[in-house]
Amino acid sequence: MNKKLINVLESVVILAIFLVLIQTFLEDFAVLTGWKMRFRQQLMITGFFFDLFFTIEFIIRLYYAIANRKAFVYLTSERGWIDFLASIPLLMLNSGPLAFSIFFGGSAFLGLGGMLNLLKVIKAIRIARILRFLRIIKIFRRIKNTDSPMAQRHVANITAIGVTVLVFSLLIFTFLTGSLEVKGLDTFIFSHQEAIAAQLSSQQENKTALAASLNILKETEESLLIVKISGKAVYSRFDNGYYEQNFGPGEYSYFSEGSFEAFFDLRPYVQQLSRESLLFFVIVVFVVLSFLFIYSPHFALTISDPIHVMRRGLQEEDYNLEVKIPEKYQDDDVYQLARLYNEKYLPLKARNQGDENSLPLDLELADIKDILGEDDK
Amino acid sequence: MDNDLLRAASFINRLLANQTLAQLPPLKREEQIIQFLNVNAQALYPTLSSPQFLPGKNWATILTLLTKALAIETDKLLLPQLQELLDTSIDFTFMSFLHQRRIQPEEYKEEIFTFLQRLLQKSTARTVLSGPFTALSANLTDRYIDESFELRQYIHFELTKVQKLKMSKEEIKNMVKASMLLKTAIYLLTVEDTAGSREKSAGMVGVRFIDKAYSILKAQLKLLPDALLKSALNSNVSFQENKNIEATGRIASIFSFRAQSYKPQVQVDRGANTPDRSWFNVSRRNFKFYGFDIKMLDEFYKIAAENGW
Repeated sequence: MNKKLINVLESVVILAIFLVLIQTFLEDFAVLTGWKMRFRQQLMITGFFFDLFFTIEFIIRLYYAIANRKAFVYLTSERGWIDFLASIPLLMLNSGPLAFSIFFGGSAFLGLGGMLNLLKVIKAIRIARILRFLRIIKIFRRIKNTDSPMAQRHVANITAIGVTVLVFSLLIFTFLTGSLEVKGLDTFIFSHQEAIAAQLSSQQENKTALAASLNILKETEESLLIVKISGKAVYSRFDNGYYEQNFGPGEYSYFSEGSFEAFFDLRPYVQQLSRESLLFFVIVVFVVLSFLFIYSPHFALTISDPIHVMRRGLQEEDYNLEVKIPEKYQDDDVYQLARLYNEKYLPLKARNQGDENSLPLDLELADIKDILGEDDK
Repeated sequence: MDNDLLRAASFINRLLANQTLAQLPPLKREEQIIQFLNVNAQALYPTLSSPQFLPGKNWATILTLLTKALAIETDKLLLPQLQELLDTSIDFTFMSFLHQRRIQPEEYKEEIFTFLQRLLQKSTARTVLSGPFTALSANLTDRYIDESFELRQYIHFELTKVQKLKMSKEEIKNMVKASMLLKTAIYLLTVEDTAGSREKSAGMVGVRFIDKAYSILKAQLKLLPDALLKSALNSNVSFQENKNIEATGRIASIFSFRAQSYKPQVQVDRGANTPDRSWFNVSRRNFKFYGFDIKMLDEFYKIAAENGW
């Protein structure tokens, strides 16, 4: 592929990364602030296409890497592992199922077994989105925040480590708390809604008792949405239009026993997950920004800037500026070297510049090519 | 101008028109071109010995012609600038504090300008005049002397109490400038080498040489007061050799050297010290080599550091 096309494609990928980060933020923000379902569905579908795009990008990159026998280099030092983690698992666990449920109806979620399982699946889907934050590392590598390749690489590496550790800590913590059956909000919701459903189910033969219970629950239990007996709704908190506009896939739970069916509102739970997701997003963004605006200048001050000054002094005959040595860091190896450069090398260089043959020469043969070229003609 | 010199001038003019040299003062440009010719002799000879320029000449002859043409072209720019410097940068009213004679400033200017024209006939003098010329053009001394008078430390003490200059700060500044300009006078007495070769520009001369130079130059610069001529000539002597050098001479020596590597509007890299601060600090470590007064360098360094120069 020619270089121009590669640059264009790389720019498209960078743009897509920026957009997917915005989309990820908006998706959670929309849940938290109660945006209408049709906007949220559009965001979910957009997320699906982004993940599809990044999956294709990963497959193409991997294909070329394998073809060039550089698969290992791509997956490790070129951070192909980020391309993988932030594409295929997301497509499989997050945006894929969501898009499927949008295209084929919410029942896709309901086939996942019991209610506790459903809550775990919702949580897993939400948590998987954290993997998208890894894309920040990819974008960070391409932001040219300094002229020094060394500074660029070090800051990119430390950012990659920081973000990766953060993302995997969250994932591992979530996985551990899930598998250790630690009681949390999901367990509480599950027990609470299951108890209500069981109570109502036991009253399905006694219509008066059921009606009385539903009357009480209407006032006291906001999460109870619909109760159906033999497919006929005997209770509904809202009209159908409201459900269509405000409930997305995974935002309601379903309980059935014989001809009894009950639907419960899971939006507070999903909002809690969105809140956590936004918190993680903000933490990751702040970690990255702190590396960019705090660590990067510190690295430049204490490592790359003094090296840059010394390199110019060694390379350019007429560059005689000293390295500025901050008192605070004077014992650093770099500044000890800089001290030698200031105190030994520059004075020697200055003395040598008194010699006629070492005067810095601005004019070079290349500058008078036009004059010399005429002779060749 | 004969034909060969005209052809040499045409080549020199094309070099002078090069953009890389455009920002340099005339003498720096001349210095660059002479070094360029010396360093690239082999590469340039085929072009310069071609029919378009100087056919059939050997390199030594070509170099002599080029150097001569270069000096002529440089002088076309330099002399008006020197005249302007004498008219605008130095106020010669300070002379009246140094001797009792009633001489108009115009007469001093005329004498100095005539002398400098004579001095510029020597290639070594042209090289060393570059520093003082730049120092005067860029007005390097004024701000440092202003700060020294604010500090009232070593330099102020040396000027007012040791050298006992009973004149105002402005007049002292003018005396330093005049000393700088006349610092190169001793090169009128040095033996000229072959065309194009240069002496070490950082070289100091001995006290005895200065004594002889004084007696000879006094005859040529009759209007100038002894104190100024001595200050100018002694600025070529190492302070390690003669601790009685006038403070104005020591300052003239420091700033003449400073100006040799002076670049206006230098972009200072992040992580680097400023140009003046760097130069003074490096010179503190080389003070014996250059024959500078270390205490003056310390004070100038302090001033540069405090002012971010």
